[in-house]
Amino acid sequence: MSVFTLAQDEKEAALLPQLDELTSFHRANCEPYDRILSASGYQKASGIAELPWLPVRLFKTLDLKSIPDDEVFKVLTSSGTTGDVSRIYLDKAAAAEQQKRLAATVQTVLGPKRLPMLLVDTKAMLKDRRSFSARGAGVLGMSTFGRDHVWALDLDGQVDLAAIRGFLARHGDAPFLIFGFTFLVWLHLYEVARDNGLDLANGILIHSGGWKKLVDQAVSPDEFRARLAGVGLTRVHNYYGMVEQIGTIFLEGPDGGALYCPDFADVVIRDPLTWAELPPGEPGLIEVISTLPTSYPGHVLLTEDLGVVHGIDDGAWPGKRFSVLGRLPRAEARGCSDTYREAA
Amino acid sequence: MSMRFRFGAEGDVTAPSDDRLAVGDPRVVDFLAKLARKLLAPALARRHPELGSLGYFLRPAELKRAVDRMRRDDALVFPRGNVFHIPPANVDTIFVYSWALAALAGNHNVVRISSRSAGAAEAIFQALNEVDADPVIARTQRMVTYGRDDAVTGALSRWADLRVIWGGDAAVEAIRRHPLRPSGRDLTFPDRTSWAVLSIPGWRAADPAARKAAALGFANDAYWFDQAACSSPRTVFLVGAGDAEAVRAEFLELLLEVVDQRGWTVDAAMAVEKRVNAYGLAATGAATSMEFPDNRITSLTLTGSDQVPRRWIGAGAFPFARAGSLVDLVPVMTRQDQTVSHFGFTPAELREFATALGGRGVDRIVPFGSALTFGAMWDGYDLPAEFTRLTTLQT
Repeated sequence: MSVFTLAQDEKEAALLPQLDELTSFHRANCEPYDRILSASGYQKASGIAELPWLPVRLFKTLDLKSIPDDEVFKVLTSSGTTGDVSRIYLDKAAAAEQQKRLAATVQTVLGPKRLPMLLVDTKAMLKDRRSFSARGAGVLGMSTFGRDHVWALDLDGQVDLAAIRGFLARHGDAPFLIFGFTFLVWLHLYEVARDNGLDLANGILIHSGGWKKLVDQAVSPDEFRARLAGVGLTRVHNYYGMVEQIGTIFLEGPDGGALYCPDFADVVIRDPLTWAELPPGEPGLIEVISTLPTSYPGHVLLTEDLGVVHGIDDGAWPGKRFSVLGRLPRAEARGCSDTYREAA
Repeated sequence: MSMRFRFGAEGDVTAPSDDRLAVGDPRVVDFLAKLARKLLAPALARRHPELGSLGYFLRPAELKRAVDRMRRDDALVFPRGNVFHIPPANVDTIFVYSWALAALAGNHNVVRISSRSAGAAEAIFQALNEVDADPVIARTQRMVTYGRDDAVTGALSRWADLRVIWGGDAAVEAIRRHPLRPSGRDLTFPDRTSWAVLSIPGWRAADPAARKAAALGFANDAYWFDQAACSSPRTVFLVGAGDAEAVRAEFLELLLEVVDQRGWTVDAAMAVEKRVNAYGLAATGAATSMEFPDNRITSLTLTGSDQVPRRWIGAGAFPFARAGSLVDLVPVMTRQDQTVSHFGFTPAELREFATALGGRGVDRIVPFGSALTFGAMWDGYDLPAEFTRLTTLQT
């Protein structure tokens, strides 16, 4: 069972009418969205790349939802570096569908059964309301795909070697799930496994989070993979996702090196100068497309991440093969109102 | 205290000093005139065109005019004393304007230079340090960089007779946590908004060369500091009867030509920033249409002159609004509004507008192309007067 089955032309043929219909639905049910499309003169898309995209940051500044207030079942929030928070409104159906599709996506690499799960994080993080929204939601969301959860870090954020050893003693001889943020996995699992001779050969690692901290330590995605293989961890899947499209994750294929789009999602790389779609090999801004956002107009979003498509229908899975290259630096004004905060 | 001296003698900047300067002190005049010559050197002015304007401001004739403005018949005029300047980090030249006027008034100055200063500011420090100056200049005029240090800001605030705070509302509030001495005062430059007004009949009456010149002047006003200087025009009001659409289209076309010729660019982050803000204005119903003819120009049609955004929305982002006449704009203007740059109006129309404003908003009304030209009167203050104090004598 896989959600990575459609070749690119099949995918576009299947997605375009659904996305078109979503656009019409959101226009009819979300007035601010309709105003944006009207002001920009949007008529109709004859291809995926012509669909009207919203800058993802708009969800931090506007309340965008296509459902009545009394049908709001869940409000997802993301923490932002500037203190602004995205607010994503889900009704019951959308929440269920997103969870179902997320499950189908991770089951592609985990199989249908729940596996014992090692969380490379601290339970204390769930109590910290400020970091909870971003990190906690990721951990909580993913934890439903495992069982017999063990936290690799104690309440002080220190490596709990006894807990890890205990987990491996009970579950280490059959497939188990490891989840954590990329940097924490490197610091608190890889190094600990290496130094203590832990055997992670039956582990399947799913990890996410920016590479910046690792790149600062001169660890590339390739080296990350190679070093983890050194402690037996060869089934490693990075993913790219965001709260604004919570049920959609772009998952690293079994051979590593690139992310793939599930059947209900796609990416377009845009030239930030002309806004045209870029061909494989040319880096630009990542636009993420998914049919899952039915309760808010988040089906076509321009992120502030840079990425590149490496190839189409030429990898381990069909469709586009791409990488995330990092964040676009925020625009900085050099005006008189440039404040003095730094020295106050 | 850990301080990096960019200009002036190193040492305790708040220590009592025996040096005395007079208003229009010849040693200061001489120093500033020499500085002006350096800044006006063709090679430097080519690299940093804003230094050309600064050099022009510091020419001997201009200095003499400023000094003359400080003199009075009804009082003896003296320096205010110690002046602590906190200029904005990223407008590379503004610190020189206010400091130079304060120095010309004979004050002892400490200018806090942001560690983020770059480009033109570095060229200015080099020029300052190359001028062959009387030693009193280095002892009384200091420019320093220091980090997040409340102790230093506190000590300088107690030292100052006048504290000059640029950088907007947040900066003013942050600095005001540090008390001044009881006789001290603040001269503040809070958040400001500036506008452009374009007369539709005036545009139609202008010949092609005048229209081109208007677009060029406006482009300089808007693009020089990424449209983020306090006096950079943001919303453009199309004023008067006639086909506003046609005027706007031609204006934008000419503007794009200038931007092309100048080779100005807008980076990806700025282009996204403008999209976010434009979409936001559309979503809330403030704008009915938005066009992105090019990354460097974003134009929006506002639903009314009461919908004008008062915050910076990006470099080359121009909301347009209609108005029947300049006087119709009076109710829209607030105390936050600083500069109105104009094209195509008669002096009588402009005077009527200024009079109707009655000082409740707008400090400067200037032609297109002059929005960024610093003057001794700024933000409603007569700076030479602010930098001096008066002694009356009755015999």
